[in-house]
Amino acid sequence: LLDPAHGGPDNGAILGDHFFEKDATLAIAGRLRGVLASRGFTVVSTRDGDPPQALTDDQRAELSNRSHAVACIVLHATRSGYGVHLFASKLQPAAPADSDDESAAHFLPVPWDRAQAGSVDQSIHLADNLRSALAGGGLSVTFGRAYLVPLDDMMCPAVAVEIAPPEVGSDAMLIRDAAYQQKIANAIAGGLTTWRKQMTPAPASQSSTPDRRVAP
Amino acid sequence: VIPRYQRALFWILFGAILVLALFLLHGCQQAREKLNRRQNETPLAAPLAAPSETVRFAVADDNNDSISMVERQMPLPAESTARAHALLARLMAEYSYKDSAHPIESGPAVDDVFLLDLPLHATDHAATSNTSNSTGSGGQLAVVNLNGGFAEHHPSGIEPETLTIDSMIGTLYANFPRVQEVRFLVDGHPRPTLNGHADLTRSYPVVNTETKSSQGTP
Repeated sequence: LLDPAHGGPDNGAILGDHFFEKDATLAIAGRLRGVLASRGFTVVSTRDGDPPQALTDDQRAELSNRSHAVACIVLHATRSGYGVHLFASKLQPAAPADSDDESAAHFLPVPWDRAQAGSVDQSIHLADNLRSALAGGGLSVTFGRAYLVPLDDMMCPAVAVEIAPPEVGSDAMLIRDAAYQQKIANAIAGGLTTWRKQMTPAPASQSSTPDRRVAP
Repeated sequence: VIPRYQRALFWILFGAILVLALFLLHGCQQAREKLNRRQNETPLAAPLAAPSETVRFAVADDNNDSISMVERQMPLPAESTARAHALLARLMAEYSYKDSAHPIESGPAVDDVFLLDLPLHATDHAATSNTSNSTGSGGQLAVVNLNGGFAEHHPSGIEPETLTIDSMIGTLYANFPRVQEVRFLVDGHPRPTLNGHADLTRSYPVVNTETKSSQGTP
């Protein structure tokens, strides 16, 4: 699942004159989608254009949870820092279900804002694959953990990929550069291909759907 | 009968008074705006009567997505809430310096900090149950009320927003050992994100956020 963040009235960060984060994420998602499709992936995207009303964060997470994606990539862009910033959820991994009461685990409700807890370890593993692929492609890459919506609400292995200008102090408009975007798309697709090869079948207990967000 | 030249003189003088009054009013408004602007750009008015102390700041660096601890000398008030406010205000002010590795626009960043004993319902619980554990865990919740202008003008992105949050959490961790959790408000109200990315709806555990350069090391 690809989630080009922001869209519609939500422009996201201002990267330059009439160049918004929502445009950058959509452009990179388009390139990534093409590369992934050529490698045999079935790609679901939370948006393919810039509709007047984009999906809310909850709707994006809901789409990802219903699609049972093998990997979820949330795309962002910023003018801060440089290179590519990878983020996995800061949620603590969920405790494994009691083996004596395995049937009950099917019916355990998963809090909406902790849905990612069950996949955090896999998400970190996925981020490691992406980091290797991006670094191998000659791109600067950092990794961090953060509390993010809708990342924390997704049940799939999920990584937020934030694209920054390519060099220290370089113009954020360079994010618009087609060659730079393609390089990132190719590297992410490479990382996802490796991930797909390494991936083991998900356990059946992952199939429960999280509750809708409730007040903390 | 008032002569015509006197009436003309009266209206000329009256007009001149009005023009002068408007001019003075405009001047006053400009002076007030200038003064306010200058106050906003002032990082922090240090309490002169307090002795200087060594404090530890968790300082963010955008270039390698890292937080490192640095020591600073600064005068701090004795009262813990005021100390926390002064500390975080100074930390954010450092980011407005020209050579900052995590640049943030100058201006007031932290309006208030409240330190509340945990658990939050301890008083009610103690009154009704009369248990021996009425003093709670000894931990505190810090409620940091950020300035709306600070949030609006904060650099937008996962990395810069997360680094700012981690910087504040790490600074609280290093200087306030009793603080276990922190919650962020903006202009006194809950807000979904700092500026479009970092989640502000949840309580953050106060932990050591110091990292060495995490470049390429998941």
